[in-house]
Amino acid sequence: MQIEFQYKPGNAIAKVKLAAGETITAEGGAMVAMSPNMDIETTTRQRKGDSLFSSVTRLLASESFFFNHFTARDREAEIFLGTSLPGDMTTLAMTGKKIYVQGGSYVASSQDVRFETVWRGAKNLISGESLFWIELSGQGSAIINAFGVIYSIDVDGDYIVDSGHIVAYEEGLEYNITKAGASWVSSFLGGEGFVCKFSGRGKVWCQSHSSSSFGKSLSPRLRAIKTS
Amino acid sequence: MNIQILGNPAFAFAKVDLAPGEYIVTESGAMATMDASIDLDSKLNGGFLTGLARKFFGGESLFINHFSNKTTTQRTLTVTQPTPGSMVLHDLGNTTLCLQPTAFIACEPNVKLNTRFAGLVSFISGEGLFKITVNGPGKVLFGAFGGIIEKEVRGELIIDTGHLVAYEPQLKLKIQLSGGIISSITSGEGLVTRMEGDGKVWIQTRNLQGFASWINRFF
Repeated sequence: MQIEFQYKPGNAIAKVKLAAGETITAEGGAMVAMSPNMDIETTTRQRKGDSLFSSVTRLLASESFFFNHFTARDREAEIFLGTSLPGDMTTLAMTGKKIYVQGGSYVASSQDVRFETVWRGAKNLISGESLFWIELSGQGSAIINAFGVIYSIDVDGDYIVDSGHIVAYEEGLEYNITKAGASWVSSFLGGEGFVCKFSGRGKVWCQSHSSSSFGKSLSPRLRAIKTS
Repeated sequence: MNIQILGNPAFAFAKVDLAPGEYIVTESGAMATMDASIDLDSKLNGGFLTGLARKFFGGESLFINHFSNKTTTQRTLTVTQPTPGSMVLHDLGNTTLCLQPTAFIACEPNVKLNTRFAGLVSFISGEGLFKITVNGPGKVLFGAFGGIIEKEVRGELIIDTGHLVAYEPQLKLKIQLSGGIISSITSGEGLVTRMEGDGKVWIQTRNLQGFASWINRFF
């Protein structure tokens, strides 16, 4: 499987080349264009044995209920995968370490990457992060998307990421909801409010922009829906 | 201090390296990620009453932030803006620049930040009741919705309302109808801003109000 990105970072799209017999699993609605020799199987689960419950929890993680499995039938095939928001995409190389992806940021993954929806705690209610995250494990690669540019930080110790800017993080890191700087008063008066403080060792992927901040600057200009 | 803009033109954000003892002044809520050892102090942006007036009439934040590195090694933070678009890092030297209310993102500590009454006409035309002026020496970081065009005005330039980002203070702003009353309404241009004088102006290629109006059509 070869993954190549085009139109980064403003309107990224992933061009995936599959060898004959190879499969990529993508969230429902991600396919933009593909070769005709592609077999598509739509399931509510990633593989046999997953329960319907895991599909329901996926909805809670703002992901789609359905997965599409694309398989190159007899010869090489290609598929373009996109997302609804403008912004960046990147590949996560899975080498055995688990990676947690924020709900809504998962696009696709190769055959041997395992996908599970996990509860990440009520603390996320406070910061506005997802309550349910996607836990990726196994070997292979996964594709994620974001609103804005995706950049990664190698954390060793403590690092602050403002709420709304986390895309994914590696096993070995944990985060707490806390304040920016030393004072709660400054964090709130300064408009930073609650932030996420990562501790431990590992990589965190961040997005340069926050879709909720953009929504806040846009919404005063939007007209309320007329109710008759 | 080293400020580097990344992600231009679609999704600009800036990486700021702070040497020990340095601090940067930012717009409220602008920080996206930072070293946990960087300290944040929020300061009232001008006096309390004028601050309140600016918050309620100008849509600006009441507080600005000082992010300081009180450690002994270099520390990094990134700052961003709510809208997708470009950023410009402008070295003021000893000059002054006028910024539209939502354009300001950050500046070096020596830059003086002031808010001035922009006039009722400016408010009516949607350009805001207040404007921000920044005085050098130092660098200022500002941003926009869409790309940013830097243009030298010689005598006169007409800009559609909602597209102005920044301008040099010797330029005078006037709001006027784009043509006659009928053509101003039918052409979709409505009010325009006339800049008079000689100096630089920064224009954004998109307009948030225009984008919102386009979305509104679907509801």
